[in-house]
Amino acid sequence: MSTTEATAAATQESDRDVAIPARRPRGRVVPRLGLDRFSGLYVLGALVLAYGIWLPDTFLTSETARSVADGQAIAAIVALALVVPLAAGAFDLSVAATLGFSVCLVAWLQGHHVNPVLSVLAALAVGIVIGAVNSFVVVVLRVNSFIGTLGMSSLLAAASYWITGGQTLIKGFSPDLLRAGRAQPAHIPVTVLYLVGTALVLWFVLEHTPLGRYFYAVGANPRAARLAGLRVDRLVARSLILAGFLSALGGAILAAKLGLGSPDVGPPYLLPAFSAAFLGATQIRSGRVNVLGTLVAVYLLGVGVKGLQLAGAPSYVSDLFNGAALIVAVALAARTSRASRT
Amino acid sequence: MSSSSSPALRVVNLTKTFGGAQALKGISLEIVPGEIHALVGENGSGKSTFVKILSGYHSPESGGVVEVGGAALSFGDAEASQTAGLRFVHQDLGLIDELTCAENLAIGRGFDTAFGRRIRWRREHEAARAALASLGYEIDPRRPVGHLSVSERTAVAIARAVSVHGGQTHVVVLDEPTVNLPRAEIQRLFRLLRLLRDRGVALIFISHHLEEIFELADRVTVLRDGEVVATRPVSELDHDTLIEAMLGRALRTVRGDVRSDVGAAVLTVRGVSGEVVRDVDLTVRAGEVVGVAGITGSGRDELARLVGGGAPFVGHIDAGGQPLRPNRPDLFIRAGVVSVPAERKANAALPEHSVRENLTISDLTPYTRWKVLRRSAERSDVRTLLETFHIRPTLPEQPVDALSGGNQQKVMIARAMRLEPRVLVLDEPTQGVDVGAQAELHRLVRGSLATGLGVLACSSNSEELSEIADRVLIMRGGQVVDELTAPLSADDISAATLAKQKETS
Repeated sequence: MSTTEATAAATQESDRDVAIPARRPRGRVVPRLGLDRFSGLYVLGALVLAYGIWLPDTFLTSETARSVADGQAIAAIVALALVVPLAAGAFDLSVAATLGFSVCLVAWLQGHHVNPVLSVLAALAVGIVIGAVNSFVVVVLRVNSFIGTLGMSSLLAAASYWITGGQTLIKGFSPDLLRAGRAQPAHIPVTVLYLVGTALVLWFVLEHTPLGRYFYAVGANPRAARLAGLRVDRLVARSLILAGFLSALGGAILAAKLGLGSPDVGPPYLLPAFSAAFLGATQIRSGRVNVLGTLVAVYLLGVGVKGLQLAGAPSYVSDLFNGAALIVAVALAARTSRASRT
Repeated sequence: MSSSSSPALRVVNLTKTFGGAQALKGISLEIVPGEIHALVGENGSGKSTFVKILSGYHSPESGGVVEVGGAALSFGDAEASQTAGLRFVHQDLGLIDELTCAENLAIGRGFDTAFGRRIRWRREHEAARAALASLGYEIDPRRPVGHLSVSERTAVAIARAVSVHGGQTHVVVLDEPTVNLPRAEIQRLFRLLRLLRDRGVALIFISHHLEEIFELADRVTVLRDGEVVATRPVSELDHDTLIEAMLGRALRTVRGDVRSDVGAAVLTVRGVSGEVVRDVDLTVRAGEVVGVAGITGSGRDELARLVGGGAPFVGHIDAGGQPLRPNRPDLFIRAGVVSVPAERKANAALPEHSVRENLTISDLTPYTRWKVLRRSAERSDVRTLLETFHIRPTLPEQPVDALSGGNQQKVMIARAMRLEPRVLVLDEPTQGVDVGAQAELHRLVRGSLATGLGVLACSSNSEELSEIADRVLIMRGGQVVDELTAPLSADDISAATLAKQKETS
């Protein structure tokens, strides 16, 4: 269920005969929506300002900025991977597990002295295969995407333990690969550049190609989309394959950055991805999951957590923050869509 | 209607403004106990705003007064409306299909329980049976609501409305209760409504079908642009004067146009069977509108889905010599067979998508170059469509949900016509659309026949078929059993759909 669908379900009411919105004055609605659409940016600004005043010595440093940017880049790529199937109305709970397996696979291949480029390509190919299997389960076997990908995520956790033997693999990483994950051209963490590249491509696909438009149409009303001539099954399959590919890409980058592979790396990325995608749906293009909104949300959450950690908050503050954000985001989305109808 | 009794509902000077637009401009009306009061008006006339104020969904501006049975109603509070004695039966009925009649009746009221919160099922079932019997329906209270016929479901919804936890029922508001009802069942519903009236309940009856109003209502209030333009006994009005009051002008008849020349076959259906549909043959030629009539369960609606490509079938459908694969709407569309499905909200509209996105979704190739969407080309195309199909307001970026029902339906028809189909398959093309927009939609469809389009129009509305179609196929029991040709009359069509049932039962 996409956010649109979720909020529509939360606000079901008759739409016949809606007398007034037909002549809804733009003057009042647009500024209000404007506030909503960019509220994440305002909150982000306010957070930076508040932490800056509170912790001027530790927070307002380029080191902190770099660490937040770098620390959230992988989370952002996973969240973007999730945005694609969500746009098409399918859940993918296996994005974090795919990332985790991809990390383990790259580490294992490195341990067996496989060429780094080949290692990464292998991980990407496996990501595509995982997405294809998800598609088969969801589209052909008609298993609910939530359940199907939940199962897949458990399968992948098992696979990650199997290839690592439950150990942390650190041997044999090629220096070239590590450089590709740790370089800082012009003091910018290279992971941020990977993120920017991924985000740009995905933003373009979702906003400026027919494929993106089709994804959103399927997510909004699959029956209507099918009767309007869209190949709904094929589109859902593509979205899951794209999610598998992007998750594996995130995993390959993470492996290069960490220089290790362990079955414990992937799973913690799941909840933040959902928080960011749903919080992102309240931003920029209100009511739809979208790339820019997701980026805003990822960094909003990242900055919030980072500041609290610098102020000495315990490490579980991150879970607390992400969980709360997920619930608040979905509640907000429901409210926004209700408000925009009356 | 004795003047001595206090009115069941008194409304004085009700005003509501959304943003800058006035939805209601000082509405006043009185409804007495034991009267069926019809409320009519085009989409956007303020009917639904009025109902939503009564139900406590909207609050009016200060100065407005609503009295129910003599007591002032506090606004913006659904519970207050309930306790005051206002009841609502919405078009979708709000029943839960998986639950039984008795369970549906108990929702909102609470179950009758014994010690330990054990539900007294026997007593529940007895009460439910009695409540339904008092409305003239013999229904097993243990049956899931989803298994009932539409009119039985309506009865359950009405029984629930009038039985809600204590409190006198002063007014029952019925919002288009007949939309999904076949003609025979409408009569049954009307008997029920008259029964309620005779018990002294006031009924507000909203319907787009004017003949129903003449048949059922005592008085009628006409809303136009948020104002009451008339409240009159139905006996003082006729069909045309009522329409004039609603529109503020006389209705132009659709069939003044010259009948276009009928050309070659554009759609051939041979031996097609589905779930209900059995062995149907039909042909649609260029330049003609073939109507399909039939009561619920006759296969009429399934035929529309089959021929639109949205449902599986066996047999042969071909468009201009090209055979079509079942259940593949995309291939049908590519072959030039484009359908506008019934129940727009479930089957056609992309909610929270803009009018523009809704219009163009079926085919984005004209705006695509190197896999990239060119918005400017799309926008200019959409502007033309908004003009051609008179979609109001002409704001392409507005969410489609914000349009009135009639305009939403025009968007769906424009989406289909934009593909320049050879065959247009319409299923209930004007369901829930007001008279003015209905006539406009009919005109749009007939107007495009000259280009060689063939139309298959399935509808439960005989009036509509008589206006739009050149010939009408009658379906019964999944088969085409008869064909009516011009001159067509709504009564003949209705009679033909029922003919066999009359003979046998």
